[in-house]
Amino acid sequence: MDDTQRRVDAIRNERSELENHIIDEYSAGKITRREFVRRGTVVGMSIPLVSFLAAACGGGDGGETTGAGTTPTATGEIQAGGAVRVALIQPTTEPNPLLVQDEGGAGLLGSTGEFLSFSNAELELEPRIAETWEPNEDGTVWTFKIRQGVKFHSGATLVADDVKTTFDKLINPDGGSANAQSALGGVLSPGGIEAPDDSTVVFNLDAANGNFPTLVSSANYNAIIIPADLDPADWGKTFEGTGPFKMESFSPKVGAKFVRNDAYWGTKANPDSMELKFYDEEGPMIVALQGGEVDFVEHFSVSGGKALLDDPNVNVIAVKAATHRQLHMRTDKEPFTDKRVRQAIALSIDRQALVDGLWEGQADVGNDSPFAPLYPSTDTSVAQREQDLEQAKQLLSDAGMTSFSVDLSTWNGFEIPDLAQLVKQYASQIGVTINLKITDAGTYYGDGVFGKSTWLDSVMGITDYGHRPVPNVYLTAPLSGDPKVGVWNSAHFKNDQYDSLVKQYVAALDIDSQKGVAKQIEELLLDETPIVFPYFYYFLSASKKNLLNTVSAATGQFDLSKAGFTT
Amino acid sequence: MARFLLTRLGLAAITLFLLSVFVFVGANLLPGNVARRKLGNLADQSAVDQLNHQLGTDKPILVQYWNWISGLLHGDLGTSLSYNLPVNELIGPALTHSVKLAAFAFVMVVPLAILGGILAALKRDKLTDRLITIGGLSLTVVPEFVTGIMLILVFGLWLDLFPVSANAPDGASFLTELKYLFLPALTLVIVLFGYIARITRAGTIEALDADYTRTAALKGLPRRVVIRRHVLRNSLLPTIAVVATQTGYLIGGLVVIETLFNYPGMGRLIFTAANDKDFPLLASSVLLVGIVFLVATLLADIAYSLLNPRIRYATAE
Amino acid sequence: MTTIDEQAAPIAIPIRPDETKVERHERLHLLVRSPTFLLGCILAGIWVICAIFGYLIAPHDPVAPDILSKFEPPSGEHLFGTDKLGQDVLSRVIVGARAVLVVAPLATIIGTVLGTTIGLVTGYYRGFVDEAVMRLVDAILAVPLIITALVAITALTSVGQSSSKIPLILVIGFVFTPIIAKTVRAAVLGEAQLEYVQAARLRNERGPYVMFAEILPNVTGPIIVEFTVRLGYAIFTVATLAFLGFAADPSVPDWGQDISAHYQSISAGYWWPVLFPSLAIATLIIGINLIADAIAQLYER
Repeated sequence: MDDTQRRVDAIRNERSELENHIIDEYSAGKITRREFVRRGTVVGMSIPLVSFLAAACGGGDGGETTGAGTTPTATGEIQAGGAVRVALIQPTTEPNPLLVQDEGGAGLLGSTGEFLSFSNAELELEPRIAETWEPNEDGTVWTFKIRQGVKFHSGATLVADDVKTTFDKLINPDGGSANAQSALGGVLSPGGIEAPDDSTVVFNLDAANGNFPTLVSSANYNAIIIPADLDPADWGKTFEGTGPFKMESFSPKVGAKFVRNDAYWGTKANPDSMELKFYDEEGPMIVALQGGEVDFVEHFSVSGGKALLDDPNVNVIAVKAATHRQLHMRTDKEPFTDKRVRQAIALSIDRQALVDGLWEGQADVGNDSPFAPLYPSTDTSVAQREQDLEQAKQLLSDAGMTSFSVDLSTWNGFEIPDLAQLVKQYASQIGVTINLKITDAGTYYGDGVFGKSTWLDSVMGITDYGHRPVPNVYLTAPLSGDPKVGVWNSAHFKNDQYDSLVKQYVAALDIDSQKGVAKQIEELLLDETPIVFPYFYYFLSASKKNLLNTVSAATGQFDLSKAGFTT
Repeated sequence: MARFLLTRLGLAAITLFLLSVFVFVGANLLPGNVARRKLGNLADQSAVDQLNHQLGTDKPILVQYWNWISGLLHGDLGTSLSYNLPVNELIGPALTHSVKLAAFAFVMVVPLAILGGILAALKRDKLTDRLITIGGLSLTVVPEFVTGIMLILVFGLWLDLFPVSANAPDGASFLTELKYLFLPALTLVIVLFGYIARITRAGTIEALDADYTRTAALKGLPRRVVIRRHVLRNSLLPTIAVVATQTGYLIGGLVVIETLFNYPGMGRLIFTAANDKDFPLLASSVLLVGIVFLVATLLADIAYSLLNPRIRYATAE
Repeated sequence: MTTIDEQAAPIAIPIRPDETKVERHERLHLLVRSPTFLLGCILAGIWVICAIFGYLIAPHDPVAPDILSKFEPPSGEHLFGTDKLGQDVLSRVIVGARAVLVVAPLATIIGTVLGTTIGLVTGYYRGFVDEAVMRLVDAILAVPLIITALVAITALTSVGQSSSKIPLILVIGFVFTPIIAKTVRAAVLGEAQLEYVQAARLRNERGPYVMFAEILPNVTGPIIVEFTVRLGYAIFTVATLAFLGFAADPSVPDWGQDISAHYQSISAGYWWPVLFPSLAIATLIIGINLIADAIAQLYER
């Protein structure tokens, strides 16, 4: 024990403030072993190190469920080789890492491309192109050690400069990736990235950010590392990457075929080939899985995939995720200028019924803030808002708005029309008439700027938000009063106290401080209620019973390199 | 004959020109900024303007039309906005798929419907006739997606006889491809049978009642010979015309069936192009479908006139 | 069925003016006794009643989501079961008749009025105007109807996101105009040769008078037939467009839309939310077509 203790002390001496914070929290039992491992890897401690410390510094709690996000592992029983066929939703953009904004496109990028790290189902970061990473004392500079000996599919060797230029292209304000910029805006600015040698990349941040490594991981699905001399517009010709699969063929609108990359730096892929088939709609994907035409469905919804949930020949992989819908109400326009009216709407909704009815229980109830239950920094002691029709009616009458009608705009994808109809029904129970105006996504999102977008201009609307492993983006873009930051602020919410709390949260480097600020934010939002967050639903994929070891992440990405068939 | 042919070709050319104008205007009526669609909702306005200039979408509409037409005549159908690929590369596979499905359905429905129509005409007003006519009518009238869904349920899922997606795996044998195409083709057969049978029946009845038939019968020819030599040829005339008019639909109008069976044909290509506001792809593919229709009807007209001399000298309608 | 553009010659035989009154009475008598007509009337009539009295007849509120009772199979309480939001399918089918029976007839009327006018003008005046318009009509008809409708409706519904049915009505009306124009024109061509038209011309009557006061009453036969046939197509097109996703407010019962929202659930075994609206569409269209057939047969004799 002495020896171990000495080793632990030696290690701790070399660690940064931030890392020691984490170790302290774990030793004091404030975070579980699982959270320790997660936080540790996120801030850059290597997995062997973390495992050692986990064993040495605490009595971790047990109860680790075997890899949420993977099909049952049964090594030794799966066959080598095989051809895996995947059903993927039709990509809506061309395969250009800068332009992809949809799940289908993200699936293409991740099929051959690799990231600095992979954000897995437990929100841990697994090293990929980056071997290790660590912050400076106050979390404003992050240094990444780049794995050596990694080759692109074309044969060229990957060096740190490729990483630097990849990110330069992404955050370039003149033609970069809008999606990447939504995550890195205000965090990383052009010119802040350096590659002092072939194996080191240094990120100089605009401000301290404890969650930075997650922001440049696979969670930012545009951030696949591409060669410095490759124009992203040409990526679709070769699907150039470093991953365990390389492209063999690509037919737009139909599908793509990949074969094992025998020059891969890590464990070679098990399947000989992977074929992606594009589907315009979910229904045919599900039918294809049941009919044996595909082996894996990248993503399906509860409403469309009821058949799969009940099918004994199918493995359903459920990954807890923060995917959600935002029901916004414009705080600067009638009838929602009085917060009591907004609270009333929020109180009319039966969230548990939505979770049970719309999602078959495959979701967490939301509490009207971006803090989903799955985030470690969420303070779950804040009281959960529940349906209360009486109080809702009382609030309306206090505000002098006993019955009124309002238009709700949204678009016709996923379960959104169903949610809209249910919201309409709940509102009718407190005397509010909602008129639904549902169009296609293009019309709803319009030009994506204020004044030219139904999404941002409507008095009431429902918007879909994809999963992110940390709530930073959700806290800023849809709710910030600063017009340069709040580019998604459809509720036109402006609250100085809120903005300052969010600043504190983002800068906070350890769990405790994050949680403390989170609690204040959650309470503020419950009071103001510019947006109703009814639920955070899980990410579901499915595979045939005989296909095991598939890996899904809540971002929609999947990793089939270890997958194999049993018979 | 030559004069007739020239007249028809001339008229077809004019129609073709008007079609191109109609398609171009239609495609450009779709609101939505071209560059904005391409770059996405979150992109910068200056980038959007720059791209619009590059693509030439900020030029006057007549210039754009001229560019499109002259490109077409050189075989350049433009570049798709959503996929950044030449339209040819997208239309090629889609057209092939549509032709395969159409051919398969065609081969099944035409003989079946002609037989049905003739049978109904021969047994006019009896039970057989009623069944074929009213039964066929009822099936035709049901929307394709309903028929398709029913077939999927029965044959694809409950009986598990046929695959429910129309895409055979790569390199599949011809027979396997047919197996995959069977359900969508069957849907088409059900949809078209009643109509074609009805027209054949009407044509057959008219031929049966005609003077020349009675003459032939009076001359003492056996019924079967009468039918084969005189009635058949003339009863098939309207059928040819009808079948030709359906080609446009078969090649480009099957958007519902293609969606149901996840089949990447022209119908779905056009549908997604319209939704994506992909003007070049939309305009070129719709024009192509129109051309197919015009060519088919032209050929049918020629065949019709070859078989029925009286038409050639009638005034054009 | 949207597909079938009947380019064959018109079915009607021109009526001589002196035969009108007696003939019409006889025709009506024959019509009412024709079994096809009666069956068609029953089938269509049921839905017309549903369209008018829907909310009164329906056993439950068709717009009452109850998410925890979703997908209940047909039972005593819910004869047609419940849909994915827990709403009663029977009630939605009954009330859904209204949506289609408001849009389709209006659209067909618009198409008929426009088509008749064009047909009269081109059939009477002939010459260059006729040729030009007919070429344009042929050009438009070269594109499958569903494609034209689809592109037009995409354009219109993207402009504003209103949930009104007006774009749909206008689009379907315009899309049917060419084919109706063609049929009316063919009928008018036949009429224009007849004596009473020549007589009117000799009297120096003006063009519009001859067209609308002399010719029009005598081509009402084919127009009525065309109208009823197109009405069936209109219903078909409305349902298909709704299925493809062009309806705005999913809470309002609409057969095509409800089918579209539920067909993916068939594979889970939930056939009732799809089967019953489908049967509704089928019976309504068949009914209309039987009526159209009966009327057409009248003029064939």
